[in-house]
Amino acid sequence: MNAFERALLVAARELAAERRHPDGFVAALTFTGLLVLMESLAFGPGQARQPGVASALFWIAILFAATLIATRSFDRELEDDAIDAILVLDGGREALYAGKVVAIAIVLAIVALAAGALSLVLLDLEVALAGHLVLIGVLGILALAPVIVLATLLALRVRARVALVPILSFPILIPQLVACTQGAAAALTGDAAVALGWTGILAAFALVYGVLGLTIVPAAIE
Amino acid sequence: MRHVPENASLNDVTVVLDDRPILRGISLELARGLTLLRGTNGAGKTTLLRAFAGLVPLARGRRSVPGGPPLYIGHRPMLLRGLTARENLSFLAAFRGAIASDVADTLRKWGLGDEMDRPIERLSAGQRRRASLARIETEQMPLILLDEPFADLDTDALVRLRAALNTALVRGQSVLMATHMHHELDQDAVNRYVIDDGALRET
Repeated sequence: MNAFERALLVAARELAAERRHPDGFVAALTFTGLLVLMESLAFGPGQARQPGVASALFWIAILFAATLIATRSFDRELEDDAIDAILVLDGGREALYAGKVVAIAIVLAIVALAAGALSLVLLDLEVALAGHLVLIGVLGILALAPVIVLATLLALRVRARVALVPILSFPILIPQLVACTQGAAAALTGDAAVALGWTGILAAFALVYGVLGLTIVPAAIE
Repeated sequence: MRHVPENASLNDVTVVLDDRPILRGISLELARGLTLLRGTNGAGKTTLLRAFAGLVPLARGRRSVPGGPPLYIGHRPMLLRGLTARENLSFLAAFRGAIASDVADTLRKWGLGDEMDRPIERLSAGQRRRASLARIETEQMPLILLDEPFADLDTDALVRLRAALNTALVRGQSVLMATHMHHELDQDAVNRYVIDDGALRET
């Protein structure tokens, strides 16, 4: 079994556990849904509909949702020391990291889809470039997930990891957050060139942090 | 020429956790067969097993485990909640490249025929322990590390565990077991050690 297959195996295991006990998914979905709702009420329909505001709040909600999903996922690993069974194995640490990134990205994509649909309905948003918006969404999630998973692994044995994960990861994620927000706003307003420009940057972030995570994760877990 | 052990070994290993030395310069080469490890609570038995498993950082020394990563079964079941016993064992066997189709048969032998498809958290502590120990048979690694494997087991499971261990020993696998029930296994053991305050001595 090669490294790619091992990572997929971990991702499948994670998704199976999340399907049976969707604690992280439900918490993230509730949180993002409420944030979108509160945003529409707090800002009022005029201001909340502005592409920049709507995009920024959506991605901030996704960022917190990613933290919730990742910390819950690793809480489950720590119950009964399930994580140790993987860490013992050859290539287990890298597979754990990569598999978690894939699985958490998939769960986050479902949350983002639901939150995005809610935003469109509640804020009555018009989407000029739907394909570009989806691309920004996919690449944004792929750019966020590696950093969140890495930060969760670094904070794994810390009791206050729910607080520590955002503290560790959010400063690193500011450029990704800017790219997601600007790219989504451009897709909403119909500026294809700008939106595509941000997708390139997000793809680079996803690649760099994905590879960086794989490189440092064995030492980071120890 | 440097001595390269063909068996799993620790060479002058020191482990420090929370600024406290838990293992102090331990050297141990495991022969094929059963090696028993005794010691009072907190003496360092679990840390020694985890050092063999590669689960604790070594402050000094070297660890060698030829033949692939060991099978380590600790105090807790080490199975993921949300998955069934069958799913957990199939995942771990598949990761190692073992044949996962044996998992159901093995779990039946361990008395979990009706329970293997229930999420692991719905099983009793003893049933979870059985599922965890069934990995001895589904993964069949050259080195098996067991930390108090008799805890939480009823008589049937004890018999099953003894049978699984006997099979493993006949196959030539090495088993390092930390246990307080050493009297029952003394006759089967090829080596016996006592660990005291992080230092090891043979008995």
